[in-house]
Amino acid sequence: MKDYDAIVIGAGNAGLSAAATLQRGGMRTLLLERHNIPGGCATSFVRGDYEFEVALHQLSGLGTEDQPAILRHVFDSMGISDKVDYVEEHHLYRYAVPGVIDITLPASVKGIIAVLSEAFPAEADKLKPFLDLCEVLTLEAYLAYPRAKATGDPEVIKKNCRNFVKYGLRNAKDVLDEFFDDPVLKAVLGGYWGYMGLPLKELPFSDLGVMLYAYAAMKPWHVVGGSQALSNALLDSFLEAGGDVRFNCGAEQITTDNGAVAAVRTEHGEIFTTNQVVSNASSILTYNQLLDRPELAGDVREDFKSRRMGVSGFVLYLGLDCTPKDLGIEVATNFVANTIDDEAQHAEALTLDGAPKGCLFTCYTVGDETLAPKGKSVVALMCLQYGSAWDNVKPEDYAATKFAYAEKLIDLAETVIPSVRDHIEEIEVATPMTMMRYLNTPGGAIYGFSQGIAEHGTVRDRVRPVHGLHLAGSWSGMGGFQPTYQAGASVGGSILCKQNKKAG
Amino acid sequence: MTLKDIRSVIDGFDATRAQMENLAETGQDFANEGARVQTRVASLHPKRLALTVSDLVEETATTRTLRLTGDAGTLPPFLAGQYVNLFVTVDGVETARPFAISSAPQERGHYDLTVRKIAGGFVSPWLVEGLQVGAKVSSSGPMGSFYVNPIHHGDDLVFLAGGSGVAPAISMIRDIAARRLPVKFHLIYGSRQTDDVIFQRELSELDAACDFLTLTQVISEPNDAFQGRTGFIDAALISEVCGEMANKTVYLCGPPAMNAACAKELKDVGVTNKRLHIEANGPPVDPTARGGWPSGVAAHQNVTVTVNGKGSFETTAGEPLLNALEKAGYQVENACRSGECSLCRIKILSGDVFNPSEAKLRQSDRRFGWVHSCVAYATSDVEILL
Ligand SMILES: Cc1cc2nc3c(=O)[nH]c(=O)nc-3n(C[C@H](O)[C@H](O)[C@H](O)COP(=O)(O)OP(=O)(O)OC[C@H]3O[C@@H](n4cnc5c(N)ncnc54)[C@H](O)[C@@H]3O)c2cc1C
Ligand code: FES
Repeated sequence: MKDYDAIVIGAGNAGLSAAATLQRGGMRTLLLERHNIPGGCATSFVRGDYEFEVALHQLSGLGTEDQPAILRHVFDSMGISDKVDYVEEHHLYRYAVPGVIDITLPASVKGIIAVLSEAFPAEADKLKPFLDLCEVLTLEAYLAYPRAKATGDPEVIKKNCRNFVKYGLRNAKDVLDEFFDDPVLKAVLGGYWGYMGLPLKELPFSDLGVMLYAYAAMKPWHVVGGSQALSNALLDSFLEAGGDVRFNCGAEQITTDNGAVAAVRTEHGEIFTTNQVVSNASSILTYNQLLDRPELAGDVREDFKSRRMGVSGFVLYLGLDCTPKDLGIEVATNFVANTIDDEAQHAEALTLDGAPKGCLFTCYTVGDETLAPKGKSVVALMCLQYGSAWDNVKPEDYAATKFAYAEKLIDLAETVIPSVRDHIEEIEVATPMTMMRYLNTPGGAIYGFSQGIAEHGTVRDRVRPVHGLHLAGSWSGMGGFQPTYQAGASVGGSILCKQNKKAG
Repeated sequence: MTLKDIRSVIDGFDATRAQMENLAETGQDFANEGARVQTRVASLHPKRLALTVSDLVEETATTRTLRLTGDAGTLPPFLAGQYVNLFVTVDGVETARPFAISSAPQERGHYDLTVRKIAGGFVSPWLVEGLQVGAKVSSSGPMGSFYVNPIHHGDDLVFLAGGSGVAPAISMIRDIAARRLPVKFHLIYGSRQTDDVIFQRELSELDAACDFLTLTQVISEPNDAFQGRTGFIDAALISEVCGEMANKTVYLCGPPAMNAACAKELKDVGVTNKRLHIEANGPPVDPTARGGWPSGVAAHQNVTVTVNGKGSFETTAGEPLLNALEKAGYQVENACRSGECSLCRIKILSGDVFNPSEAKLRQSDRRFGWVHSCVAYATSDVEILL
């Protein structure tokens, strides 16, 4: 008998979800995490009186209690529904470019149409058709297309997924251009590009459209206690079901026998036998480093060559000694930029020489005051940045470089939200190197590989060269919270399914 | 592709596949990325540093500076004020203690740790009396957020130091001098007796040489010949030597009693939380005196700790769980040993545990029973998950 029915490497969102699903499904599962806490990106840390959310800005896919959406069902199936509390956000975002626009989109399709019709009357009649398209695209991408594809008949795809066929792989800029003229309106509607890390012309429209519609219809959510609360709840559910977990215990090798998974060796030298491994570590690390015979990875390594490294982030975690109201903000999610040009903003992510042109100011205490001591606020101020921007920064210059860039980021935020600096009580600066340290990802990437059209799941073929080795997480699908929870649950589910077939 | 892919009906599918093939021509298989990640992380934040004691300097009768040289050459950079956690084996017990680095950050060949012997201590007496030149030790990488932060600390800095709490202060002073930073730095340094003053000569020299530095020394148990300031650091003294405090940033590092007393005095002279940075101090000296400690439980009361699946042992309620675990031969990762860094996080499966205010617990860790073992006390028999 094997030591475990399954071993999960990494306790990020996908690893936790896979582990909880497997153990609750009756497979004896070992979860290995190199860090001392579950969550990966989905974590928090405490400084002084403040607890800082590391990564979650807005949780998507939950839906309301009355109208639950997919993620609520997934969480139900993993047994965490009564372990977590959520706070609904009533706005998608504020989009502010001084001298150009300052507008807030409410969290409803109707509300968005009303607000934008008033601000852009000349284009009012195109808003509904546009948002309708986002809606049907969501349904087609997630429901109709997978079914149609399974039939193997191209005509069925054409017939049942008309919008997906036409718009699914087009770039977001193109589609916005097709509908609208006003560049400011297009920039406002494209505001979420930053959540995917690529400018509109490189993003598949289906991803942007789905995101916009999903947040509007299913609402953006905060989690009480932050995403760490979700991570802790998933782990709790896993432990309650009898799972074994080891922290401070990285996996060092996946041992194979005849091209199939046989065991996992930890950094402490222990060896655990198993036939099933789910790796939540990056695919790069899994196939190039962990696998005992990297040559087994064959096709995967070919696939790597057509991939590009994804983006990381530069984040200031701020504890402010004032309320959101004192700062003049009413909305948690604030995109602040000095240009509506997303390509110019993205270009700054590649270098430390200039200054950020766009950023995201998320104030978690809007809507949930319990996150900070009374009268105070917790903020994450973030801009996109690639790990490569830090390649030539020497260790001895690291601190000075990060502080200097932090100053520029605060300067940008202050063009819309004045006197942030004066209110700082606690501050922690995280760079792509910080992400790299805590996630063990190449380039400190936070969504896995770049999320461009050529990386889209629709155009990629699934390669799984090693029997019993499964990947789950941002490196083998879409990055972000909702996708990675779902990926873990689905990988766990399909392993269970096969196992049960064998047994039955 | 031999057969036409059914996905070709999607607009842009064929073009995107062609683009993928182009990308593959110029791309890479990332074979070296894993090693790059490791090297990069180790150069900034190594998990462990292998060190050799290359020199020992007597500072006072009870204090000495350990010079630790990196076995792998240049040591990782740090910010003046940060600490390393020093791993040692004392009386067969594998344990560790955090110490601020007293050398300048510009010095990359070694870290100096200035250690004062605490009467009745477990590790400090051994470091001050037992450690020999040539000994091998290991430490964590530099850590902690007690440093001069250029973003919001401003340029008018005051440091209140007591005893070996002068260690991070002298590193800051050396750093400011080396980088010629445009700040003012006022060190108010309290010692018990004149013989206890650490770095006396260097401080006087720096005071004379550096315009940015003001030095105020205070002795609490002076001998008859002593002519300088005497007593404790209090509101009156702070106001007298510093003037208006509202716009100054204050760092405070001394023994626990001094930190508590000075924090109060500083509030009285108008220093807000925002402008006050207090270095962590280790577990509370007397946890039973803290609010929330269960009545009827004495510090010396015996309790049994069961480690899930790994046996059990006896300890006392007043002993931090981390120390108890180490003495019983269990290993738990740790660094600050003061409740802040969360590395020593363990889960309480059953039983009662007291978490003092030092424990900077996440909201959801509290909810699911995770504690910081370095400052957690078993006040009944407990079962834990390591
Ligand atoms: C600052 C920031 C902001 C973000 N903002 C958003 C946002 O607003 N919305 C959104 O949807 N997404 C956001 N993300 C991205 C999102 O958090 C991630 O895409 C997602 O959490 C990735 O989940 P994952 O399952 O792939 O695992 P990861 O979080 O990458 O976790 C992988 C885990 O595996 C562990 N591991 C790695 N190697 C080993 C090994 N050899 N042995 C054992 N363990 C190992 C790691 O320690 C880690 O815990 C953000 C991320 C960051 C950092
Ligand atoms: S060792 Fe840092 S919190 Fe316990």
